[in-house]
Amino acid sequence: MGRQARACGPRRGKRESVELHHVVIERWSRQDSVLHRRDARIKLIALGACLVGVATTDPFGWMESLGFGLLFSGGVLAARLPLGALLLRGLVVVPFSGVFSLLAFVTGDSERAFALLAKSYLSALAVLLLAATTPMPALLHGAASLGAPKALVQVLQFLYRYLFVVSEQAQHMWAAASCRGLQFAGSRRRDRWQAARGVLAVLFVRSYERAETIQRAMLARGFDGRMHLISATHVGRADVVFLAGVTAVVLLLRYCYSSM
Amino acid sequence: MHIPDGFLTTPVWGAAAALSLSGVAWSARKSEQALEAGQAPLMGVMGAFVFAAQMINFPVGLGTSGHLLGGALLAVTLGPAAGVLVMTAILIVQALLFQDGGVLALGANIFNMAIAGVLVGYLPYYYWGATPYRRAAIFLGGFLSVFASACLAMSQLLLSGVRMPAAVAWISLALFAVTAAVEGAITLAVAGAIERLNPNWIQAPRNTPRLGAGVVLAAAVFLAGVGALFASSLPDGLEKLAERTGIAGRARNLLQTPLSDYELHFLGPQWLGKVLAGLLGLLAVYGVCLLIARWAGKRGRAVQGAASGSL
Repeated sequence: MGRQARACGPRRGKRESVELHHVVIERWSRQDSVLHRRDARIKLIALGACLVGVATTDPFGWMESLGFGLLFSGGVLAARLPLGALLLRGLVVVPFSGVFSLLAFVTGDSERAFALLAKSYLSALAVLLLAATTPMPALLHGAASLGAPKALVQVLQFLYRYLFVVSEQAQHMWAAASCRGLQFAGSRRRDRWQAARGVLAVLFVRSYERAETIQRAMLARGFDGRMHLISATHVGRADVVFLAGVTAVVLLLRYCYSSM
Repeated sequence: MHIPDGFLTTPVWGAAAALSLSGVAWSARKSEQALEAGQAPLMGVMGAFVFAAQMINFPVGLGTSGHLLGGALLAVTLGPAAGVLVMTAILIVQALLFQDGGVLALGANIFNMAIAGVLVGYLPYYYWGATPYRRAAIFLGGFLSVFASACLAMSQLLLSGVRMPAAVAWISLALFAVTAAVEGAITLAVAGAIERLNPNWIQAPRNTPRLGAGVVLAAAVFLAGVGALFASSLPDGLEKLAERTGIAGRARNLLQTPLSDYELHFLGPQWLGKVLAGLLGLLAVYGVCLLIARWAGKRGRAVQGAASGSL
């Protein structure tokens, strides 16, 4: 029975944990805190300042890492998010940067090895902090009012809206394929290949038809190809203070910190 | 190959961001008409489709599996401009929500995977889509799309001073080729299946076969991709390359002697020019491709017109 259930259940694999990751971020982004309440545009600019600060600080030793690490950890605490969980989730970059860091280490450049690992990890942490304190729609509105191309923002809005509808459907279809007799282990490669191909083709068709239905519904409701942004947020005094504070800390870390 | 933050030097990510910005602006302008006709939901849902498609694994052999990356498939189904836009959106969501690729490195990733990946993936189909080599063109599109993206990413890393021994560079190149071949096969399989369900969902190819130009252009893109990588990684020419890979092959030697003897002298300032030339060359190929395509398109229509006039 257990085996049967496993064969028919949704595929367990790498992607599932990634999805979980997203669901967690989404839940976090809808909480409330000092950081959550800041204007999305201000947070985007602050993120830019932090990332440029991390990227351009050179040499990037343990002192600098500690400084930026404390800055972002402070952000996590101010956002009232679980620090440990966030620090763990930032490790998602390690498989990639670890390989290059190891290469640099083997070729005798241990300074660069450390900098690659620390910079990529801290940057991921900063992005994670933004994503965990700002709901995606607010982030997209913020990006649009900062001058991101309207067409791109529109595609992003629909992409985000249907991301999990379509991926859930893919999981259902894959499960259905396995219930029709496709086994993940043991079946011939050719059969599995054809099953995967079939799932993708049908998924494409269903996505396309879903898109057409959405399009008709939106046209019926008077959609003229433009998203009218209703900007309820405004930049207040707290936002300015926040941005000034972050920029000051980044500048301090960038120019004075390690020489102190 | 999503580059995280912290790997690229400021000139590299800055230049890549500037290039991507203009590329995305171009695709946004080209897609404006489609968006005004209410096609935004289609593009968004197709982006979501590519995300979901990446969950479906295709068995490759030796116990490994690959999945669709989607650049060439988007180009063939939505057209190049919309394909670039959708791929850009996918990369942005991956960077923001999944920490897959950095935010400062987004410019480089968009250039590699959305702009180069989609446009290069579309080229073979553009030229051979209506010939008997149609299936080969779709496969080649998938292959080139991934191979060009990976080579570009590699060049940007090398350009930023990331070091690796020659053997590692060669092994990565071989891995890129395998991944690219898998992408080609998956793209071909899925595009074929979609077409069987409804031929309208695949972009209509051009009617006039232009084999010669297609061969030259595809080869140029391929060579520029490899060239950009090796102009940067193998500055001393082929003899040194043979010597180094020979030496690198002897594992015991490699372990006993200091590795720095065999590693490549990336980014001595004298090689910077070569690397830049490689990347600029790739860009130049793009410009030339677009110009030739436009010119050939006009001539093709003129010839067709003349032919139908004489009937």
